[in-house]
Amino acid sequence: MEEVLVHLHDVSIGYDEALIAGINVEIQAGDVIAVLGPSGIGKTTLLRTIAGLVRPLEGDVELGVPSRGGLGYIPQRLGLVGNSTVRTNVEMGARVGLSRWYFPFLPLPAQQQRYAQRAMEDLGIAHLAEQPVRILSGGQQRRVATAKTLAQRPKLVLADEFLGELDDDNVDIVMKTVRSAIEAQNSAMVMVEHHEELAKQVANRIWRITDHTLVEEVVE
Amino acid sequence: MNKRFYLWGGALLALTFITFIDLAGDWGRLSGGWTNLKRFFSESLWPPNWSVLEAQSYPVCDASFDFMCSVAWIGMWETIKIAFVATVLGFLVALPLSVLAASNLSPIELAIPTRVVLAGMRSLPSIIWAVLFMIVFDVGALAGIFAMTFYTVGYLGKLQFESMEGIKNAPLEAARAMGMTRSETAWLVAIPESANNLVSHVLFMFEYNVRHGTVIGLVGAGGIGLYINTYLKLAQYDKVVALLLVVFVVVVLIDALSMMLRAAVTEEGDVERPAWSSLFLPAAISSALHPTPMPSVSAEDE
Repeated sequence: MEEVLVHLHDVSIGYDEALIAGINVEIQAGDVIAVLGPSGIGKTTLLRTIAGLVRPLEGDVELGVPSRGGLGYIPQRLGLVGNSTVRTNVEMGARVGLSRWYFPFLPLPAQQQRYAQRAMEDLGIAHLAEQPVRILSGGQQRRVATAKTLAQRPKLVLADEFLGELDDDNVDIVMKTVRSAIEAQNSAMVMVEHHEELAKQVANRIWRITDHTLVEEVVE
Repeated sequence: MNKRFYLWGGALLALTFITFIDLAGDWGRLSGGWTNLKRFFSESLWPPNWSVLEAQSYPVCDASFDFMCSVAWIGMWETIKIAFVATVLGFLVALPLSVLAASNLSPIELAIPTRVVLAGMRSLPSIIWAVLFMIVFDVGALAGIFAMTFYTVGYLGKLQFESMEGIKNAPLEAARAMGMTRSETAWLVAIPESANNLVSHVLFMFEYNVRHGTVIGLVGAGGIGLYINTYLKLAQYDKVVALLLVVFVVVVLIDALSMMLRAAVTEEGDVERPAWSSLFLPAAISSALHPTPMPSVSAEDE
């Protein structure tokens, strides 16, 4: 039986008015879902609602992942701490695998440090580990954000246009690394993507948002 | 739009003038004022009495250099030490309080009472704190340290929580979605994100505390102000002027040091390295002497 990570029951999302209404979907382990649709239609709001950052206007979002460390979120602006080093940012992801009572100013245990190091190596940014994030290029910062999420080892990754600013080679490296991590950990990913061709190459499910509704498309 | 602006501007100026006339009272008291000031300046203030830079028999001193036994050095050095300790202690107390007061890091039920505490600490000027702590610790540097620390906590706490509230939302949202605790978010996200501002505020506060050391010393809380107060009581105004000039020079030097350090911690391009002339001259003159080059735009930028 498939492991259900998130279940949205009759959910309407938006701020004052509903952007998308009547959403009834499940996210299962192993899913790589691309959310497609024009700008301003509610794709980011959908991710933020699943992430628990925005309350749904109606309905329930039922999360089957742990509230600490179970969900990795890469916002459009990446959410990195610019003044901290690449290593500190990536280790932040690994830290949420520890108990919430583990003091934030203590160094990470060896295992979590290994997770962070491995994620940086997989994404080809280990040589930048001691650099502050703010001096890196946009593409390098995207790889740091991805490494942070991989070091977290979440059950569900929510990524908002995280492949933008990456050249073709780097898109391949990032997606290959993310997919193998998803398979290894039996987790899932929901990604908002503007480039439809790219999204169709990497996703095994597609949600298209049109006319205030979410429609599941058959992947060829 | 313009008409309303002039109408309100005119009304404000008229109100200011009327209030000023009301407060000034008897203009007759001003007669001879300028002459009195000139006489006071030439007879009592100027030239400064630089004997304050010479070694004195009192206070007792066994330093290897004569200059270090002067009133100016002993007083100024004590003021700097008081300001340094008070700034560091104040920062250590203000930092956790500012996390509690920041509405994007703490629940509003915690943020508001913390802000009230910070406002309370700030609302009493440091000179009043100095008087209160002198009752506890008697005359001397300890009262000065506590007075400055309390005021520093109130002031720095406010500056810092406002900096923390001004950080970008994306790192905070990512931290929340990941399930990071409030203390992790504060320590690993909010403090590093606002670090440039925090360092800048601490350096500003140190410079402010050195300047303020003069004022709290006047009521007996140690430092150079204690000597200024003594000379005021003895009507030795030429020595007062000499000590005030020493304070001015030290504050200018600390300001320069602070600006260089702030430029070092601020992101490249955010703040330009200050010109030395900006320490002494009005901004307009300084910028005329050191014009900022126009940013160059290359084809790649477009």
